[in-house]
Amino acid sequence: MGQIKGEIMEIIQKQAEEAVKSMDIIRKQTENAVKSTDEIRKQTDDTIVDTIIEGIDIVRIFKMGEVEVRALRSVNVRIRRGEFIVIMGPSGSGKTTLLNQLGLLDTPNSGKVIIDGTDTSRLSDSEKGKFRLHNLGYVFQDYALLPELNAMENVYISLLMQGKSKTECESAAAEILSAVGLGDRLHQLPSKMSGGQQQRVSIARALAHSPEVLFADEPCANLDSQTSKEVLDLFEKFNQEKGQTIVMVTHEEWHAEYADRVIRLKDGVVQG
Amino acid sequence: MLEKARVSFFLASRSITRGNKGITIFTVFVLTLIFIQLVLFSSMLAGVTLKFNELMVNFQTGNVVVEPKEEERYIEDASALQKKIESLPQVVGTSARLKTTGNFRYKEKEIGATVYGIDPADEIFVTGLEDAIISGEFLSRPDKGEIILGREVSGGFGALMESRSLGGVEVGDTVELTIGGVTREFRVKGIYTTRYFMADASAYLTRSDLEEMLGIQGRDLAQEIAVKTTDDTPEDDTRTALLSLGISENIRTWHEFAGILRLIESTLGLVRNIMNAIGLLIAFVIIFVVIYVNIVNKKRQIGVQKAIGIEQNVIVASFVLQAMLYAGAGVILGYLFMRFGLVPYTVSHPVEVPLGDMSLKLDNAEALNRAVLLFLSSVVGSVIPAYKLAQKDLLDLIWGK
Repeated sequence: MGQIKGEIMEIIQKQAEEAVKSMDIIRKQTENAVKSTDEIRKQTDDTIVDTIIEGIDIVRIFKMGEVEVRALRSVNVRIRRGEFIVIMGPSGSGKTTLLNQLGLLDTPNSGKVIIDGTDTSRLSDSEKGKFRLHNLGYVFQDYALLPELNAMENVYISLLMQGKSKTECESAAAEILSAVGLGDRLHQLPSKMSGGQQQRVSIARALAHSPEVLFADEPCANLDSQTSKEVLDLFEKFNQEKGQTIVMVTHEEWHAEYADRVIRLKDGVVQG
Repeated sequence: MLEKARVSFFLASRSITRGNKGITIFTVFVLTLIFIQLVLFSSMLAGVTLKFNELMVNFQTGNVVVEPKEEERYIEDASALQKKIESLPQVVGTSARLKTTGNFRYKEKEIGATVYGIDPADEIFVTGLEDAIISGEFLSRPDKGEIILGREVSGGFGALMESRSLGGVEVGDTVELTIGGVTREFRVKGIYTTRYFMADASAYLTRSDLEEMLGIQGRDLAQEIAVKTTDDTPEDDTRTALLSLGISENIRTWHEFAGILRLIESTLGLVRNIMNAIGLLIAFVIIFVVIYVNIVNKKRQIGVQKAIGIEQNVIVASFVLQAMLYAGAGVILGYLFMRFGLVPYTVSHPVEVPLGDMSLKLDNAEALNRAVLLFLSSVVGSVIPAYKLAQKDLLDLIWGK
C-alpha cells in the first residue's frame, strides 16, 4: 500500500516537473515572439521616419491636341533621407515627368507627393514656390543659369529671396562655389564659362540653401564623359559627406553606379 | 516685403547693366525722343506765348497803359502826369500818345489803319519801334509832315496781308491821310515791322501833327500813356504804385489788351494736349512692345526663376522697375538735352517764324508733369506683359513654350 502510494507520488512529481518545463518553453517562446514584434515595429518606424519623399498613385496625363498621353500611370515611389536615387528608363518612359512631380515643378492629375511629411497636394502655387525656395534644389540639363548674373549672384539669388543679408549670401555662395571647385571664378558670367563649369555653378546654386532634396534632370546630358564624371563625383561627395538626398534622372547606365538605388520606368510604370 | 523689393531691384539692375546693351540703348533712346516730343510742343507754345508777350509789351503797350477816366475822351495835362509816373523808381519811360483811326490813300489804293501821334523822344524809352525800322528812319521830335508806316500799311517787306495794304509804298513817297474829314499829305520817313501783324498795321506821326489834324494843338492832351517798367516788376505792382500816387485815370496792364493772343494761346494749348495724348499713347505702345519682346526672350529665365522659388510678383516687379529705370533715363536725358542743348541753342539761334525770331522756353513744371505721365505709361506698359507671362505654367516657361 505504502509502495503504491510512493509510486503515485513519484509520477505526480515527474508530471509536475514536465509541466513546469513546458511552461518555461512557452514563456520563452512568448518572449521571443514579443521581441520579434518589437523589432518589426522598430524597423517599420525607422522606415517611416526616414522617408523624405513619398509619391502615391501619381498619374500625369498630357493633352496634345485631341490625344491624351499618359506619362505616369499610378506610380508609387518612396525615397529615404540621404538616398542617392537614379531614375532611368527609355525615352518617353516618364523619367523627367516623375522628377517634375516629385520636385513640385508640375502637378499630377491624381495622386499625391508627400515631402518630409508635407502633403504638397494641399499647397497653393505660391506656397509651392516658397516650399521649393526653402526645401528643394534643382539642376537642369542645360544649366539654366541666369545669364545676367555672375556665378556668385546666380548662387545666392535664392538666399537673397529668403531674406538673408548680402554679406551672408556672398559668404555662403563663395563657400559652396569653392566646394564645387569654382572658388576662383566667383565673379565670372556664365557666358565666359565652359559647360562643366556652368553645371557646377548650377549645382552650387541648387545646394546653397541646404535643400532637403536635390533634383537633377539629366545633368550630364550636355557634358563629355570626363566632365560628367566630375559632376557625378560632386553629387557623390555631397551625398556621402553631407547626407544630401539626390534624385537624378539619367539614361546613362554607368551613372547608376553612383546611386544607392535605381528606379526604372517603362511606359509610365515603375518596373520591378 | 523689403527683401522682395531688394530682389526685384537686384534682377532689374543686373538685367540693365549686363543685359543686351543694344536693347537698353534703343529703349532709352526712344523714351528720350518721346519725352522730348512731349516737352517740345509745350516749350514751343511757351516760346510763342513769350514772344506774343514781348511783342505786345515792346511794340504796343509797354507794361502798363494809363487811359482817360470813364466817359472822358482825353487825359488832360498829360506832361504833368508823365512826370508824376516817371517819379516811380521802377518806371523806365512813358509815352503820351494820341490814338485815332485814319484813312490812307496812295495812288489808287485806300485803307484804314490806327494812327498814333507820339513824341519820338519819349517813345524810344517805351517801345522798340526805333529798332523795328526796316527802311528809312524813325521820327524825331521836330519832324513835320512826316510819317512812319507799319509794313502791313505800306505793303511790301513781306507783309502778311499785302492785298489789304497800300501796295508797296516806299520811303520818300507821299501818302494822303484823312482823319475826321481833315486830309493832309505826309512824306513816308520810315517803314517798320515788329513781325507782329497787329502792331504792323499802324502808322506813327508826331504828336503835334496829329494834334493839328484833330484840332487840339497846344492843349497837352493824350489818349493813352504807355508806361515801360524794369523787367522784373510785376504789372500789378506798378498798377498799385500808380494808384498810390493818386492817379485817378484808368490803369490797365498789357495783359488786358492781349485778348486775341490769349485766344490763340488757348487754341494752341488744346492742340498741345492732343499732341501729348498721342505722344503718351505712342510711348505706352513702344514700352509695351519693348518690354514684351524683352520678356518673351526671357521666358525660360522667368521659368527658372519661378522654379528656384522667386515669387511671381518679384519677377513682375523686376520688369516694371526695368521699365521705370528706362523711363527715368529717358526723362533725364531728354530733360538735359532740352535744358542744356535745344533751348539754349534756340535762344542763341532763334527760329524765324512769321511772328519773329522765336526760341523755346522750357517750363519745369510742365516737364515734371510729362515725366510723371511717361513714368505711368512705362509702369502700365510693363505690368501687363510681365504679369501675363509670369502667370504662365511653370513647365511651359521652362520649356520656352
